[in-house]
Amino acid sequence: MTSIPGPRKSLSRNTLVTLTAILFFVGLSALFLIIGTTIWLGLRSQAYFSEIVAVRDFRSSVVELRSALLAAETSQRGYLLTGNEIYLAPYGTEKIIAKRNVDLLSRAIPASSPQALPFARLKAAVDQKFVEMETTIELKRVRRDLDALAIIKTNKGKRLTDESNVYFAGLVTFADQRLATASDEQNKNYKLLQLISLAGGIVILLVTTAAAVMVLRYARAIAASRDEVNALNASLERRVQDRTAHLAQLNEEVRRFAYIVTHDLRAPLVNIMGFTKEVEDSVSLIAPVVESASGSPASSIGKAHMESSLVALRSDIPEAIGFIKSSTQKMDALINAILKLSREGQRRRNIERVDLAAVLNSSINAVRHGLTKDNGRVDLKLVVPHIVSDRLSLEQIFGNILENAAKYRSTERPLRVTITTRRVLGDRVLIEIEDNGRGIGEQDQERVFELFRRSGVQDQAGEGIGLAHVRTLVRNLEGDITLASRLGYGTTFSIELPAVLSEKEPENQ
Amino acid sequence: MSRKMAPVVIVMIEDDEGHSRLIEKNIRRAGVNNEIISFVTGASALEFLLGKDDGAAASSSRQFLVLLDLNLPDMMGTTILERIKNNIHLRRTPVIVLTTTDDSEEINRCYDLGANAYITKPLNYEGFARAIQQLGLFISIVQVPENV
Repeated sequence: MTSIPGPRKSLSRNTLVTLTAILFFVGLSALFLIIGTTIWLGLRSQAYFSEIVAVRDFRSSVVELRSALLAAETSQRGYLLTGNEIYLAPYGTEKIIAKRNVDLLSRAIPASSPQALPFARLKAAVDQKFVEMETTIELKRVRRDLDALAIIKTNKGKRLTDESNVYFAGLVTFADQRLATASDEQNKNYKLLQLISLAGGIVILLVTTAAAVMVLRYARAIAASRDEVNALNASLERRVQDRTAHLAQLNEEVRRFAYIVTHDLRAPLVNIMGFTKEVEDSVSLIAPVVESASGSPASSIGKAHMESSLVALRSDIPEAIGFIKSSTQKMDALINAILKLSREGQRRRNIERVDLAAVLNSSINAVRHGLTKDNGRVDLKLVVPHIVSDRLSLEQIFGNILENAAKYRSTERPLRVTITTRRVLGDRVLIEIEDNGRGIGEQDQERVFELFRRSGVQDQAGEGIGLAHVRTLVRNLEGDITLASRLGYGTTFSIELPAVLSEKEPENQ
Repeated sequence: MSRKMAPVVIVMIEDDEGHSRLIEKNIRRAGVNNEIISFVTGASALEFLLGKDDGAAASSSRQFLVLLDLNLPDMMGTTILERIKNNIHLRRTPVIVLTTTDDSEEINRCYDLGANAYITKPLNYEGFARAIQQLGLFISIVQVPENV
């Protein structure tokens, strides 16, 4: 016998399931985090990009406005100095450009922003500057050069230009700062994206590795347990074989014992029977002599004594002999039964392919009258049509059980016998014979298989051999028989046999 | 071969003395008066029949009829049967097997070994007596050729 290894410390199934679930959850969370962050960062990046574009537009508008104002002023100066209309040509264009850019800027700067106030001042300055320039141009055109010069001499125009330049510089600086910040943020954004992707990737890698390690460990544990199971199976099979051989040997010993005992028990019985008969014959010889002697008055023996002798000879001795005879006959019947059983165990089996329906039908036919009287019926539900076994034994087994079913029917209802066959584990066939007869009380259910034991009301002839015989037959076919019964409702006999009985004899002789 | 025409001697090999007594009684009742020699063990019977050297020299001039019980304490009845049937001097000796069983395998084996008759000891005495009386008839028949 090999030693059974103790349960190895390994992942239990529950732990595995829990761990796998946790890992799966962690992996999935990491993935979602990466996706979520990537989308968020992407959106942020887009926002920064739009801002950069907007700030650039803003900056170029500011710069364009400044150059337009400068160009308009140059154009005004040229005209004022020369009076030549040619200098005035760009003025109109620059004014339009300036106006457009002022409009763009006023749309780009919301009223709530901190740039709103400086811009409002700039706008006012620009407007005033254009008003001043247009006034001087108009005065020049109507030849009021001195008036125009007087306006210029107030330095109002110069002051407006200087003021505007301050605001221009402020707004451009603001735009440059914004651009720098946005591109900084964009960089940070990119770094963050890289970091998150890397971290997420590492987490997923870790989870995957952990899962792989766990699966490997579990697979190894499964392989180890499978090896253990195989080893156990092998040792179990060997033990079963040993036990079976041992049991077969014991069984054989019991059979031989029964055989020898019955032989030896019979010898003294022959003597008892024979000499009893001798005594009987002798008594029948003596009786008439004593009788005639008792009639004779010349007898020397007392009359009372004579009469009691006659009573002994005529009734006491024959009675005693009668009991001796009936007892020896009963004993002989019992010995015969044991002999029959022990011989059954030694009988050679003739193994062949047996059609179960045919065997059952022939067994049913043998007791058909008993089964079918008073509307009795037998139903066959055979899933397994064939079995490889000993036909004669099967016939006797079924015959005995069916005979019992007919014999011990219930008087309250018509007999119903249902016979089913089906395959069961271990390549065996289960044959169930169910009746609705009087049933067997729980206390008798094992006893009925014993020799000379009978159950229930003893109103039927029988020696109590049938089921003991059946069990011996079934065991000789390497099967087993059990019964389930409820008193008053019926009995089911379950016979389990190997589907294919091997030729190997169970260690006979 | 010069043989004295001695009457047949019945050799009864039976370990149960009750049985031998009953058999003897019934043989006598059947009107057979031959000498009956009883043995309770196989060894003593074989010694008597075969002599010490298996030559059966001592017995060669006498005619026997053997009543053989199969269940003997010291050896198997079939062994005795075999020894008798394999002995050149005894092989024609009629052997009637008596036993308590009616096992057909055993019966066939006895006939194979050369048994002349097989009688089971039935439990009912009438049957037993009838069987023994038939045995008596058999004995009187086997006597005939020996006396010619």
